[in-house]
Amino acid sequence: MGEPVNTQVIKERLDAAKGARMKMWLELCAHCGLCAESCFFYQAHDKDPTYMPSYKIIKTLGELYKKKGEVSREFLEETREIVWGKCTACRRCSMYCPFGIDIATMIATVRGICNTQGVHPEGLQRAVDNYWAEGNQMAMTKEDWLETCTWMESETGEEIAGLQIPMDKEGANIMYTVNAREPMYYPQDVGMAATIFNIAGEDWTMTSEGWDDTNLAMFAGDAKCMAHVTKLTYDAAIRLKAKQIAITE
Amino acid sequence: MYEFVRGPLLWVAFIVFIVGMIYRVAALISLSKKKDKVVYDHFSAKWALKSIFHWLLPLNRTVAQYPVYSILTYLFHIILLGVPIFLLAHNVLWHESWKISWWSLPEDVADYLSLLMLALILFLMVRRMVAPYARIVTTAYDYALLLVVAMPFLTGYMAYHQWINYQWMLILHILSGELMLILIPFTKLSHMILFFLSRAHIGSEFGERRGTVTW
Repeated sequence: MGEPVNTQVIKERLDAAKGARMKMWLELCAHCGLCAESCFFYQAHDKDPTYMPSYKIIKTLGELYKKKGEVSREFLEETREIVWGKCTACRRCSMYCPFGIDIATMIATVRGICNTQGVHPEGLQRAVDNYWAEGNQMAMTKEDWLETCTWMESETGEEIAGLQIPMDKEGANIMYTVNAREPMYYPQDVGMAATIFNIAGEDWTMTSEGWDDTNLAMFAGDAKCMAHVTKLTYDAAIRLKAKQIAITE
Repeated sequence: MYEFVRGPLLWVAFIVFIVGMIYRVAALISLSKKKDKVVYDHFSAKWALKSIFHWLLPLNRTVAQYPVYSILTYLFHIILLGVPIFLLAHNVLWHESWKISWWSLPEDVADYLSLLMLALILFLMVRRMVAPYARIVTTAYDYALLLVVAMPFLTGYMAYHQWINYQWMLILHILSGELMLILIPFTKLSHMILFFLSRAHIGSEFGERRGTVTW
């Protein structure tokens, strides 16, 4: 882990992120502390002030701007513990901040910066690699996915006569997408969703591409992969001329 | 000296305050058109106004969460804007210079409110030292800004009661007021105007994009 930090890349990221909103947020925060109660991390840690939203930004993004990106790997490691370990980017603090500062968006900026230096939670990085490889977080192959749907169609069809899982049907009302964990570990989920659509008489379809509706790349702070994943699903809906995209629970 | 701080310097202070603030807002909006385009595809005047309304008035969850702090900070802001505008002595000056004047606060009420203001500032300072969640994010800058706001009230109170040296206290009072005006566009005091931009953004972001409220 002795790799040097590419401060040039960090600087570029910091400059790119410094739009009107970022400038305003950094300047506005009155250090009032009213965001504290909004954070469940803060609540769950006996109101330890190091878990309060504004402090988490000051210690990470604030320091990055103050040091103009000239930070050490140790700093980035500590930052990782804060922006992934102490924040889920749920945005609840924005609802408590009198100025409505979008703290979660700032956290996402820091995650993106850490990511450029290979500093991120390992599990998330595996998911990102999987998205690039197979278009879903589990790296499930297209064959496996299609097979799982066919299997669920015949298995669920034993209970509900005439049940179908349409695949790549054009012009459907709903294009249904799932969490890749479902076909991987809980294939019955696919059958249950099919049951509902069939009984409700919906005009629906599954898609052979872009069927994973999770976007762990977003949590990883990897904007490129995040866009890639979103685009897979978006392109599938356009290709199939689906009217709506439905996502799993 | 009095003529100078009351005349040209006052002009400077007002011009810096007004032009500075207009410049800040214009610069932010023009930057946002280049680097924050994402704001505009979901901007909604309706949600922006609702968001501002709920936070200008005590109609939000934070006020419910912190009732005492909310009451005190509302008082703080009301006195900060209200007393200087409706002070009889200030009205007299407006009348002398521009032949305009408006309703004034009774002098003793303004006097008590100024004392209350100083007590409120003291409370805000002590809170910054005592409350762990405020203390951890507090810097010298935060205390300095509170002092900048306290000075016009402190010197105004002392001048009114003719403590120490009236003439010099008055000059100090005018200077400290001018200092505050000049600092507004360039410090966290700019939230006086930027509050509206920030709230308009988050109101639209949560309202128009996701259909949820921010209060």
